[in-house]
Amino acid sequence: MKKLLKSKWFIALIIMLVLAACAILSLLPGSPVKRLLKPVQLVTSPAQSMVKSAGDTLTDFWSAITDGIAIREENRALKEQIADLRYHLTQNEEAALRYEELKEALHIKDMFSNYVIYGASILSRESDEWFSTIRLNAGEADGIALSEGNSYPVLDVEMNLVGRVIETSDTESRVLPLLHEGFAVAAKVNAVNGATFMIYGDAELKQQGLCLAKNIDQDSRLEPGMEIVTSGDGGLFPEGIPIGVIESVDYSNPLEITATIRPYSQIGKLEDVFIMIPYVEPEDNAATAASQGN
Amino acid sequence: MPIINIDAKAKIRKIVVYAIYIILISSIQVSFPDAFSLFGQTADLMFVFVVLAGYFNGFWDGAVVGFICGLIRDVFSPPAVIGLDGEVRVTAFIGVFTLFAVGILGASFFTSRMHRNIPFSFVAVLFATFVYKTSGYILIYGWSMISGATSGMYSPFSAFVYSFLPQLLLNAMAAVPLMLLIRFLGPVSFKEKKQNDEIIGNDGGGKWLGI
Repeated sequence: MKKLLKSKWFIALIIMLVLAACAILSLLPGSPVKRLLKPVQLVTSPAQSMVKSAGDTLTDFWSAITDGIAIREENRALKEQIADLRYHLTQNEEAALRYEELKEALHIKDMFSNYVIYGASILSRESDEWFSTIRLNAGEADGIALSEGNSYPVLDVEMNLVGRVIETSDTESRVLPLLHEGFAVAAKVNAVNGATFMIYGDAELKQQGLCLAKNIDQDSRLEPGMEIVTSGDGGLFPEGIPIGVIESVDYSNPLEITATIRPYSQIGKLEDVFIMIPYVEPEDNAATAASQGN
Repeated sequence: MPIINIDAKAKIRKIVVYAIYIILISSIQVSFPDAFSLFGQTADLMFVFVVLAGYFNGFWDGAVVGFICGLIRDVFSPPAVIGLDGEVRVTAFIGVFTLFAVGILGASFFTSRMHRNIPFSFVAVLFATFVYKTSGYILIYGWSMISGATSGMYSPFSAFVYSFLPQLLLNAMAAVPLMLLIRFLGPVSFKEKKQNDEIIGNDGGGKWLGI
């Protein structure tokens, strides 16, 4: 027995059994097991941030050297674009004033007016195809508190869907990317009465940067190039967030029409993202509004 | 008269060099994955480092480095798994479990008879990558069947072509600089280790494969 206890294989086996038990326990809702990783996070996160900023500085420096000519060209093109946009801005100012008047009169709501948008930077990305959640530098301390079963949409700077927040800690959030096989979102073709369906992450398509559309109605005609946005069904994501375009449609089985979607957001190239949190009116204000209504 | 004896010096060197490499490699892995991605896969620097630490420096080095790298992996990019209730949850300790096992695996094959020579370190990396991918694929397949989440599954052919082959290629490429780091700028003196190669049989390497 003593020999067994001293055996490195026996010790390794016990450690592996404990780790496997911890991994299974971590799957339970509200599991305290994850708190064991907190000290590791406190030590490693600052070190990783330092390495990341050093890498970014080097990349920027290299870009400054290599992209000089391209930047000059781009600058010239941008100046022309600015002049053009200024002209259009002047033209549109009056239209904007009219829109504001009509918005008041017709009670038109902005698409995301009921959401508070928080900015966050990406701290770390996926390690491999299975260790694939993304870490953001905004957490509960910044107002991003997540209750069990709830989730918040994450968008890129062009307001395209990137993924959803699935876990928050004091200072960080974890995002499930759009291509992950556990991701699902109700979507529709961006047109009046556009066909609705579900979009899922798919392990096989993920390798090509695509996701899968299923539950497509037999009567709907989808075509490559059509823009897909969130439909708002299910309540998790508001309606109208751009997702991507249809890459291909498979009508071979009329009972199970599928399509592949190429998302707009390129997660590998993102640095900053936005988290959309439904606006909750403070209780005092809500009570005041209710009493005034009465 | 030296203040610190040779053993203590070697231990300090080991801890300091491992700490620097682990922090650097894990940070680079999750901060700039696109820099070493190909065909939708990313070279797994942490994985390769753990295998090589086990291969060159023995069982306990592989196990401890694997354990620490796994903890960091669980903090930086833990896997999200579809639970039996259909909810997607972030897990913990799967990274530690994986890399701890990989460190031991790296120390156990192709070590004793090959005297941990450099060319066979590539074989060790390729072998460990193949075992990792195969077991991961089987586990995911089994779990998907239980949880009913078929989106996580792909055909064996697709897995081999789009996942296994690119990963094997990328890990083999990543093994070149990491092998040089561990062997020649590593936590253990190359000169010292050459003299003590016979201790591998007792303290480090396994004899499972008599190559």
